[in-house]
Amino acid sequence: MQQEVVLAMLAKEPSHGYQLRARLRQALGPLGEAMNDGQVYVTLTRLEKAGLATSEQSAGLPDRPDRKVYALTAAGQQRVAAWLAEVSWPRPDLAEFHLKLIAAAAAGLADPLSIVDAQRRELLRRLRDAQRAALAEPDGSAAGLLLEGIVLRLQADLHWLEACERNWTPRLTSRKEHR
Amino acid sequence: MGKIRLIGRLVRRDLRRHPGPAVLLVLAITAATATLTLGLVLRGVTDQPYQQTRAATNGPDVAAMIFGFSPLSTAPGNGPPKQVPINHAQIEAEVRTLTHAPGVTGHSGPYPVASVALRYRGLVAPVEAEGRAQAPASIEQPKVITGTWVRPGGVVLERTFAEALGASVGDRVTLDGRPYQVVGIAVTAAGLPYPNMCYYPGGNCVYDLQDNAIPSDASNGFAWVTEAGARSLGSAKAPLSYFLNLKLRNPATAPAFANRYGNKASFTVPTLIPWQAIQTGSGLLVQDEQSVLSPGAWLAGLLAIASVAVLAGGRMAERIRRVGLLKAVGATPGTVALVLLAENLTLALIAAAAGLAIGWGTAPLVASPGAALVGTPGAPAVTLQIVAEVVAVALVVALVSTLVPAIRGARTSTVSALADTARPPRRRPRMIALSARLPVPLLLGLRLVARRPRRALLSTASVAVTAAGIVAVLAFHTSVHLNGFGESGGLGNPVVDRDEQMLTVLTVVLVALAVLNAVCAAWATVLDARHASALARALGATPPQVTEGIAAAQVLPAVPGALLGIPLGIGLFDVAAQGAGVVVPPAWWLAAAEIGILAAVAVLAAVPARVGARRPVSPILQAETA
Amino acid sequence: MNETGAPVLRARGLRKQYGKGEGLVRAVDDVDLEVASGETVAVTGPSGCGKSTLLHLLGGLDRPTAGELWLTGQRLDRLGERALARLRRDKVGFVFQAFHLMDELTAAENVELPALLAGRSARWSRQRARALLEQVGLADRAGFLPSALSGGQRQRVAIARALVSDPQLVLADEPTGNLDSQATIEVLRLLESLHAAGQTVVIVTHDSRIAATADRMISMRDGSFVDETRLTGGSTGSLGTLAGLNGLTE
Repeated sequence: MQQEVVLAMLAKEPSHGYQLRARLRQALGPLGEAMNDGQVYVTLTRLEKAGLATSEQSAGLPDRPDRKVYALTAAGQQRVAAWLAEVSWPRPDLAEFHLKLIAAAAAGLADPLSIVDAQRRELLRRLRDAQRAALAEPDGSAAGLLLEGIVLRLQADLHWLEACERNWTPRLTSRKEHR
Repeated sequence: MGKIRLIGRLVRRDLRRHPGPAVLLVLAITAATATLTLGLVLRGVTDQPYQQTRAATNGPDVAAMIFGFSPLSTAPGNGPPKQVPINHAQIEAEVRTLTHAPGVTGHSGPYPVASVALRYRGLVAPVEAEGRAQAPASIEQPKVITGTWVRPGGVVLERTFAEALGASVGDRVTLDGRPYQVVGIAVTAAGLPYPNMCYYPGGNCVYDLQDNAIPSDASNGFAWVTEAGARSLGSAKAPLSYFLNLKLRNPATAPAFANRYGNKASFTVPTLIPWQAIQTGSGLLVQDEQSVLSPGAWLAGLLAIASVAVLAGGRMAERIRRVGLLKAVGATPGTVALVLLAENLTLALIAAAAGLAIGWGTAPLVASPGAALVGTPGAPAVTLQIVAEVVAVALVVALVSTLVPAIRGARTSTVSALADTARPPRRRPRMIALSARLPVPLLLGLRLVARRPRRALLSTASVAVTAAGIVAVLAFHTSVHLNGFGESGGLGNPVVDRDEQMLTVLTVVLVALAVLNAVCAAWATVLDARHASALARALGATPPQVTEGIAAAQVLPAVPGALLGIPLGIGLFDVAAQGAGVVVPPAWWLAAAEIGILAAVAVLAAVPARVGARRPVSPILQAETA
Repeated sequence: MNETGAPVLRARGLRKQYGKGEGLVRAVDDVDLEVASGETVAVTGPSGCGKSTLLHLLGGLDRPTAGELWLTGQRLDRLGERALARLRRDKVGFVFQAFHLMDELTAAENVELPALLAGRSARWSRQRARALLEQVGLADRAGFLPSALSGGQRQRVAIARALVSDPQLVLADEPTGNLDSQATIEVLRLLESLHAAGQTVVIVTHDSRIAATADRMISMRDGSFVDETRLTGGSTGSLGTLAGLNGLTE
């Protein structure tokens, strides 16, 4: 679990450990079943150690990670902002980007659409480079095959980003209804 | 029940979506059935009227002409032959021989006949004026159609002669200078309609001519006056002759009787004409009409069939696609055929009804059963048999136009039927190479023609048929001028007049059908070329170039058709006129007709082409991507 | 060729609408566009967003309801049908999704068609067609009918046809819409080579691979432009990371 995801979940407001876990579960849907609960608490502890979050013990509750109240530090906020603006493409799991969008929308930190657009632009440029390289290879070369694979995956990811864009534009859908 | 409703719904929807071709199809079949109805109705109009007249006038079985003179033989070119009167006793002997001949049961006459010159409003016509009693005779009493029978100072004209003169009851005429008033118009079964009086010995009648050349002597009119009047009209210059009407015990033996007792070549033996010959001769007028109408009806029928074929071809692609669609959703071949049949049947039956109505309505205009004869049968009988035959024809057309796409559809796989590859255009490498050297409109036109060679052939055939009809009409007019018909001193020639009327009607019908055919062909071409012309425009052809190309695609196959029509038309006239000889219309008439036909084809194609060429290109091209 | 600096294509306030009142549909809604010489521009968007309509407007195949359109300095929206046809003939080459080749003509005969329509001699047109077929790599298939060619080959013939009059602008409407991935690669190579040769191209596509060949990519939605991306210029990250070589190289 990327640390930044958990950090971003705290950006809106401080919350209990178990609340965080519930929010993550909900955002991931069926994939959340596979999530290791304990992992969230470990990450929270690590974040506290790194000085990106603070924790408080709720009055009258035991000193366990799920019952503590966590909040962002200033450093933590900076980290979240930087993470949101990052466009390097993660390895095959899409969950991180998905959660990035949800966190951004929930916390009101950034417009999910602009995140999607920025990512799309980046992927397009990479597609272009990979494609150029693939076409430059002679027919049937092994390297060309690998490059072709990269191109196809990038294309698939771009398709998904288009779907994200469609999904995250509520105001445009309402505009269409008015026409 | 549900299936029938479904079929009905499919048919209704289809007709509503594509009313154009349905209308054209109905028009074409209507034209065919109307012409067919007309032809069938007229076929029955020949014998009956003569029989009616014969019954009404108690016409003779044998009509006899006894001459009161015989000409001196003179060298030709020395003026008119001198008449030498035959003495009365001889005449009486001839009459007695005839009236007492075995087999004769009764007679009327002999009636004196004077050969006079009738003058009326500047026209002059030779007339045989028969003197009759005012009391009706028992045998051969002409039936008065308008006015009254003879009285002193009055003359009754025979109907066709009156028609030729343009005279009617009350008009004043002179007979050999003496004033007479037309008191009546009558018909008779004892003679032939004007201008075919043929009692002149040695003269020839139309009905027993071998070579159909009518000498001007035959243009005698026929009239009746009082007996006293006829006798007074006789003179030393033109002595009287006598008509005798005989009734036989066995009317069927009249020709044998006439042969035995008569001699057409002699002036001392009477000229006898049996009633059968008169009947045949009277029927000639209608036969003449028939000889014009029959080939005309064939031509019209051919054109109508060509139109139907073109329309069927034009809809073929869409039909096959429909068959494919129905098959794809699980319709059995039977259901598919039923759907197609239902639609065509509906249209064909509507067209048959319309055609019958039109044929029935126009038949009296055309059928005039030889003006000489009694009885306008009113509306000529559209018998049940005729109705049955016409409906049968319409049904056959519907069946055939269903069968072909149904069979095609059954044979082509559903996939290719849906993909519209069922009727790919033909490829002609040489035409393509040739067209590349031509200017753009001809390039487009030639390539369009090459795509559908069968339709081009059909176009050529249709234009050939039309041109043949028009050339035949021109040949008729030429022959009229050549033989001087209708030029007997300014009198009309009812036979020729009637023929001309018929031909005018026929020409109008032919032209109308030809126009219909051209419109059908143009529609089919524009439809077929929609994608190709849209693409050509997308690639840079201007709309006028596309319009001209489509027009060229119609004109190119029309040219050989029009040229072919010339010999065909001349031959057609030769056949129809039964030996009038080969008549070739003058060159500039032919040239004008050819240019007119080709120009009409071009214009009829250009109009729908222009409409199509102005439509926006994108929807047509985008539709193909769906 | 165009003087450098002046745009080959310029559109301002371009609009195309159908119907009226309740049924009014704005297929193209107030579009501004400028395409410089030698540039490849890709227009992407979901189906029904009006990209094909826009392309047809740019090529003079359809008339705009409003707006101005200049092609090599000539005002398109004011021209009559005939002048438009001549302009299309001489200055614009079209490539369609459905190829739109004539089924009864061979590849060479299809390619030479615009030249013949422009009034060129048969010999010149045929020679030019052969040269172009060679350029797209189909010289040996010049005498084949479209039914004997694969999808990719057919589209390449269509591209050759679009180039026959040496147009200032090539307009391609979903050129790989009907093609499989192998055929797409064939067309891709061709588009890249056109780009390298300095041809001005406007492509409408929803295939990101085709869009990636462009210098500029414009997103379209509901008839108007919503986004523009410049694809020239460096990108972040190396190809290695894309392939998952992170762990190995670090």
